[in-house]
Amino acid sequence: MSHPNPSSLVEIVSVPIGRWAVAMAPVQIRTLLGSCAGVVLYDRAARLGGLAHVVLPDSRGAADHPGKFADTAIPALIADLESKLGRSMRGRLLAKIAGGARMFQTGAATNIGRMNHDAVEQILANLGIPIVARDVGGETGRRLTLDTLSGIVSIRIPGGADYQI
Amino acid sequence: MGSRLTESQKRLLTMVLERGAADASRALAQWLGRDVRLDVSDVDEVELEDVTGQLGPAEALVASCSMELTGKLTGRLLMVFEDQVGMSLTDMLLQRPLGTSTEWGELERSAAAETANIVGCAYLNSLASHLSLGDSARWEGALVPSPPSFRHEFAASLLEFALMDQAMEADRLLLIKSRFTSEGGDLRWLLLFVPSGEALRTLSTSLTLPETH
Repeated sequence: MSHPNPSSLVEIVSVPIGRWAVAMAPVQIRTLLGSCAGVVLYDRAARLGGLAHVVLPDSRGAADHPGKFADTAIPALIADLESKLGRSMRGRLLAKIAGGARMFQTGAATNIGRMNHDAVEQILANLGIPIVARDVGGETGRRLTLDTLSGIVSIRIPGGADYQI
Repeated sequence: MGSRLTESQKRLLTMVLERGAADASRALAQWLGRDVRLDVSDVDEVELEDVTGQLGPAEALVASCSMELTGKLTGRLLMVFEDQVGMSLTDMLLQRPLGTSTEWGELERSAAAETANIVGCAYLNSLASHLSLGDSARWEGALVPSPPSFRHEFAASLLEFALMDQAMEADRLLLIKSRFTSEGGDLRWLLLFVPSGEALRTLSTSLTLPETH
């Protein structure tokens, strides 16, 4: 039986650098990553998901731009998911992470991708949120799309086809 | 937090960059064998969250040749082409009919990198000779570019990589865009000058008009 392809009708929410977004199925959430880390949190039962585009690992106490830093963006993302669902997310979330590439081999920010990845891993471990898939490192950008209907995260790199994690 | 340039410092920087653009235009016109102009169009401070749209659609594939700057003013200089437009450059250089190049092969990449090298060196030499940072010393030869490295990348990812050094220190990022035109038409190539956080501190504390000799 054939069905019209519903994907062309699905709303896509784009997440700018240093921000996050949450959405219920069937919305898709998308961002473009370089050395930043994309953190996807997903509640399979509620078909509710969120995506943070993390720029740097540590806020060092700064509170004016929570989406920019791993240690403030992830708690803010969880708070928004809880607000959307109306209950605690404890024990309900799975994580997928992507990004942290290194395009340039020199410069002060050379290792920031790796530092972002390490920080995200540590914060999620501290929160008891299991990471079920990773697509990190490398030397190219990534387009990351979360399908809140399925929880599938699709990745595309420049000139390549989509693959799923 | 990062350093901010005053409006008068931005005007000064624009004046210096315009001289760099004029010298780069002459070098490029000679290289391409046609009249090409490079104009400084924007010295902009951009909010972090607005960065991704600065090269057009975030998902657009662009080609870029990046040169890292070392010396007294560190940062990055990038020549950015829309995909098809960049390949047309190769056709122009190789005197082939436009549309002959359809992918970024070795020849196409090499042609783009050499063009960026010519433009970048002319731009930076001019910049170095016209900049003065209060110590009355000229900077000739003090801005040293690395050989260009070619990338084929999403526009938003490219900007994220290029601006990360500034993003480590600030939420508003300085991006200097120059556009190429030929016979009045926009060639849709861009030259991006992205000072490092350290370079911004240097500029914001000591950018002054050069002494006349």
